Amino acid sequence: MAKNEAITQRKKKEKKDPVNIIAPLVVLAIIYVGLEIGLRVFDVPAYVMPTPTNILIGTIKSFDIILPDLLFTIKIICIGFCIAIPAGIVLAALFSQFDIIVKAMQPVVIWLVITPMITLIPLMTLWLGTDPNLRVIVVIIQATPIICLNTLNGFIHVEQEKLEFAKSIGASKFETFIHITFMNALPQVFTGIKLGCIFSTIGAVSADFVSRGMGLGDRIIKFLKYSNFEQSYGCIVLIALIGISLYTIVSAIEKRIVLWKK
Amino acid sequence: MKEPKIKFDHVTKIFETRNQSITAVKDYSMEIQEGEFVAILGPSGCGKSTLIRMLDGIIPTTSGDIYIDGQKVNHEKKKMPQEVLRKMGFIFQQPNMLPWFTVRQNISLPLQVFALKGAKWEKQVDELLEMVGLKEYANAYPSEISGGMLQRAGVIRAMVHDPEILLMDEPFGALDELTREQMNMELLDIWSKTGKTIVFITHNIEEAVLLSSRVYVMGTQPGRLVETVDLNLPRPRQLSMITQPEFIEYRQKLERFIGKIDLSKIK
Ligand SMILES: Nc1ncnc2c1ncn2[C@@H]1O[C@H](COP(=O)(O)OP(=O)(O)OP(=O)(O)O)[C@@H](O)[C@H]1O
Ligand SMILES: [Mg+2]
Repeated sequence: MAKNEAITQRKKKEKKDPVNIIAPLVVLAIIYVGLEIGLRVFDVPAYVMPTPTNILIGTIKSFDIILPDLLFTIKIICIGFCIAIPAGIVLAALFSQFDIIVKAMQPVVIWLVITPMITLIPLMTLWLGTDPNLRVIVVIIQATPIICLNTLNGFIHVEQEKLEFAKSIGASKFETFIHITFMNALPQVFTGIKLGCIFSTIGAVSADFVSRGMGLGDRIIKFLKYSNFEQSYGCIVLIALIGISLYTIVSAIEKRIVLWKK
Repeated sequence: MKEPKIKFDHVTKIFETRNQSITAVKDYSMEIQEGEFVAILGPSGCGKSTLIRMLDGIIPTTSGDIYIDGQKVNHEKKKMPQEVLRKMGFIFQQPNMLPWFTVRQNISLPLQVFALKGAKWEKQVDELLEMVGLKEYANAYPSEISGGMLQRAGVIRAMVHDPEILLMDEPFGALDELTREQMNMELLDIWSKTGKTIVFITHNIEEAVLLSSRVYVMGTQPGRLVETVDLNLPRPRQLSMITQPEFIEYRQKLERFIGKIDLSKIK
């Protein structure tokens, strides 16, 4: 019916194109086969790079050892990430209310974003003690600034005319914020969160490297020590998978919320 | 005598920028009666938008007073009260729709902010959508509809809370000639049906003569009122009128005023 024409059109657009799923799988298969053949033909030693099949076999064989570290790392990333998202957004909302703070804080936030947190971890271990769960803090410090920075960017770049419209209907500061400023920033909030996925993963693994004892980062080093190259590579792949999964989940949520952008 | 609906009493607006102060509107006075359709005509930069934005409480005045229904509405710094804003609907130069809301959500937003709830207002939204032919697009996003449709949505968004006054800042300036003529006729239709007071800003002389009952001609540097022209043309107005001698006479008269302004500017 004509009535719902516009809606049906949008639904159609939303429907997944099978190419979008098949294409990456084909590429993955090509990389897998290419590496498998290449590594065998050129006789690359395992300590440089084991073949994908050997990585797979090695990882599955040692999976019972890897699993607790995998779960630990997922836990650290997820908790840290879940705190970093609201923290980044709330901080940005607070900053955006005051022009002076925006000007004063932006360099600080940028400075926080670009400082490699790994350099601070030894110090933080010193301050915080050695409880592995405290690695959450590293993740939070790593991911919050990037989320905050992107969100803030969206908050302060609102078209003047949109704010004038809010004034013309006498919207309160709060109404203006939720209907205009926040909605305007939403695409950028998601960009921040997606970058946050990557930063959280980096944060968690670098914390493992420094603090040791637990986590996938720690497991990589342990495997290497005993020349279990296949398993180390397996852990690297798992870390990448955690990051990719988070990213995919956030993208899926974004598509459901940010409906007005194609 | 009846209280004028809108009254400007020696209103001045000076913008202080970093290195200079710009007098956008100087010593502007006018009185508009209830139900009138008036046009404000002037070249670009003469302060038309500034004038109407002061009236709608978007920017404060520097000096002078603005009255609506005899009530002084402009306060330095302070926000214009909600019950005064409710009397007005503002139509922007660009459609100015919020891209993250659907057409329907956009149009309903003033109702939400003015706390107008209930079936009556829901019905109002439906009727307005129907009136401008946007019913089928109620759930579309602004990026999915045409420029003409967007501008129509802008018009009904300004009308949804049933204001007594419509303020229009070159509302159809961005549209093509054909759509614009059509929209102007629709506007006249709305006006004659609802009896709202309309302040219509334009830099198009023909448009001003075709639509309004009185034209305020503004000049630049500083932005000020230079002439008020009452138009004694029959209603309802039709597009075919633009070739009639009275119409042409008014047009030429206004052209002379605008021309004079331009000459003085060159000097
Ligand atoms: N926020 C502002 N700060 C400083 N100067 C301003 C501001 N707004 C407007 N002006 C100045 O005031 C003058 C009048 O501007 P205004 O927008 O009211 O003109 P206008 O008649 O609406 O022009 P147009 O037909 O191009 O829309 C201009 O010289 C403009 O530069
Ligand atoms: Mg203007």
